[in-house]
Amino acid sequence: MPLSKSNPVFEPAGLATLARVKYRILYNTVREVIDDAPVKIFATSGFIFLIWFALYALFLLVFQYFQNNDLQFVVAVPLLFNFFFVALLVLLAFSNAILTYGTLFTHEEANYLLSAPLRVGSTITLKFFESLFFSSWSLILLGLPLMMAIGEAYDDRGPLFYPMFIAFFLAFVPIPGAIGLLSAWLIARYLPRSAGKLLVGLALVCLLAVIVWGMRSVRDVGFVTNEWLDGFFGRMSLIQSAILPSTWVSRGIEATIENRLEDALCYLLVTLSNGIFLSWLAVRIVACGFLPAFDRARSSSGQVRRSIAGASGGVAGRIFFFLPRPARLIAAKDLRTFVRDPLQWSQLVILFGLMSLYLLNAPRFEMSDSPTRLSAFVPFLNLGAVSFILATFTSRFVFPMVSLEGHQLWFIGLLPISRTWILLAKYAFSMMVTGSVALGVMLLASYMLRIGPMATSVYLVVTFCVCHGLCGFAVGIGARLPMFQQRNPARIANGLGGTINLICSVVLICTLMTGMGYVTYRVEDRGITTDAPRVVFMIIAGVCLIGLALGTLAMWIGARHLKRIEL
Amino acid sequence: MAQAIDIQGVVKRFGQKLAVNGLTLSVPPGELFAFLGPNGAGKTTTIKMIAGLLTPHEGAIHVCGHLMGTNGLLAKAQLAYVPDQPFLYEKLTGREFLHFVAEMYAMGRAERDENLTKLTRQLDMEPFLDRLGGTYSHGMKQRVVLAAALLHQPRVLIIDEPMVGLDPRTVRSVKDLFLEITESGGSVFMSTHTLEVAEAVANRIGIIHQGGLIAVGTLEELRATATRQHSLEEIFLELTETSDAPIEE
Repeated sequence: MPLSKSNPVFEPAGLATLARVKYRILYNTVREVIDDAPVKIFATSGFIFLIWFALYALFLLVFQYFQNNDLQFVVAVPLLFNFFFVALLVLLAFSNAILTYGTLFTHEEANYLLSAPLRVGSTITLKFFESLFFSSWSLILLGLPLMMAIGEAYDDRGPLFYPMFIAFFLAFVPIPGAIGLLSAWLIARYLPRSAGKLLVGLALVCLLAVIVWGMRSVRDVGFVTNEWLDGFFGRMSLIQSAILPSTWVSRGIEATIENRLEDALCYLLVTLSNGIFLSWLAVRIVACGFLPAFDRARSSSGQVRRSIAGASGGVAGRIFFFLPRPARLIAAKDLRTFVRDPLQWSQLVILFGLMSLYLLNAPRFEMSDSPTRLSAFVPFLNLGAVSFILATFTSRFVFPMVSLEGHQLWFIGLLPISRTWILLAKYAFSMMVTGSVALGVMLLASYMLRIGPMATSVYLVVTFCVCHGLCGFAVGIGARLPMFQQRNPARIANGLGGTINLICSVVLICTLMTGMGYVTYRVEDRGITTDAPRVVFMIIAGVCLIGLALGTLAMWIGARHLKRIEL
Repeated sequence: MAQAIDIQGVVKRFGQKLAVNGLTLSVPPGELFAFLGPNGAGKTTTIKMIAGLLTPHEGAIHVCGHLMGTNGLLAKAQLAYVPDQPFLYEKLTGREFLHFVAEMYAMGRAERDENLTKLTRQLDMEPFLDRLGGTYSHGMKQRVVLAAALLHQPRVLIIDEPMVGLDPRTVRSVKDLFLEITESGGSVFMSTHTLEVAEAVANRIGIIHQGGLIAVGTLEELRATATRQHSLEEIFLELTETSDAPIEE
């Protein structure tokens, strides 16, 4: 093959080339999903619509409540807007930091683009826009319901309310995007060896700070005393600072609602100009210092881990003492992987941690002195919250486990153990993790709410059955519809099998919660006690049976299929 | 005439570990250079530094006379890099990916189509070129990535483990392509563990061990330096039979 003609003035390809290829990838992805997995589109759209509608209803309820109060615009609405946009600022900054760190410093695409004759600035700009595009979920999922609810609640809004709201949102999004890009670069440049853990640690610290701050704002209720109100507004002034972008957007939207267009336009231009400037600055800084950061991120040597596990799997192995030896080792291996993956345990820690904090503070809200109806209703809501958190975890982390063994199946398949035991090892691991956390939280809930030994026992048994059902679904469907060629757990969870597992999990929870809802309705006066009507115990038994039977059925289907697969 | 690749006193550290230790090496135009070494010897690190993915702590690397770093774009325009784990966009077809590569290297449409037709035939890619990259086997990916590297007719081809996952027919085609490149004045810098391939096609062979170049020359020159002569395998084993412990600073 002849050599290329020498081109002394080589003009590197720019952003347009990269944008075109990204458009083509998006087009091919959408076309493939439409052709191959219409169920996925239907299910995803359905869930988005459900979340969207729930948020819209919530926002509308809040605004309609405020409308009945004369002080609505003076106190409540500005606070609500500020809270919303501050939360969005933090969420989007984290989301962008994680996205850009992944795409710029860990993905193979970055390697490829860096070895090509492209300006680094073009690659950074592309990745910045890419993360902004993926961050736009906040507009669809959170922004639009808020906008529609305001539009519905305030008939006297200005005529330009809708376009101005969207303009504010679009002008606002680049600001957390730029913060996220700079954060990702700083982490890669100066702290590459523990970037993942650092991001998770930062998220936990921020979350804890927000919770502590929030708790301080509402504790020692009497809510309506003057002292509490003074302290509350003092703390709220932090998030209403004039230098925060969330304040500009909040005030701009208020001005739009009140038809003060000149003020609104001023805030919009302030937000837009800051957004553009910060984006430009972030891209320039990262482009200039990208290569050293990339070098450091890629140069990190792997951390040596000293395992105290012996031949029997160590502490992790002893936890699964009831399994035969090879299955015990597989379960212990999964437990070790779980402990070493902050992405997995942090999700459980964050969600159940939040729930535990709420439960620990429940007595401060005088829940125990509330009417009996509320005392009976709250444990039911707790069960629902725990179930949905579990479903999130099992769908995202337990479901891909069988598929992820695809590359090791040649090895695991040679172990002196039947494939059914491999599946049971996965089940034992997931039950151990989800069961211990969920039962612990439910026990705490029962103790804090003082709901009595009978009700406590019932909720613990039902929680166990929910765990069994969800873990059975995740492991069983994971084995029935595996994606052995895929190494990315997120993609496995988002595939057809993952979608079906998620739908089945949600249907299971809704079914069980319907039964428990009826039980709550029947015993609203006394709670679940030994002298509750017989039908109540029959329904509880039915709920448990459904959970146990469906989970076991899914496991059986998965095991039968796994046995037949030719590796 | 400038060397195709000129590496002068390059040092690269990963924390306390010295991955490449004062490496000096030149590859002239028209040469196929095979870079050998045990696992962890510094082969891939060296290759990544030549491709501009890692920056040396000391020393300099020139590609076709352009310093990788200050004149990185001009250097990268002259080279192509094929990593051991081939990268493809899963949601692009092979043909779309190759068109993207042609656009990145500012190729005209006629030139692109002419080269693409020739490479498609040589690497037998026609049956799968219009399928999405995510459906390819390792061998198919390797062929498309190789085509992407050769499409713009680079003066320097840097390739890490080129024969892994390829069937014997494609291995033969790849060897022919390498010869074609060197015969027309281009250079190939190939890292490999497949000593038979190095023995068969390389003009010169370099052996790196614990970050340093311990031997370089033609097969005959290497035979002359080794006490137990004969095959490249025996020479390689003799030269690298010292401790495998990494060098700590």
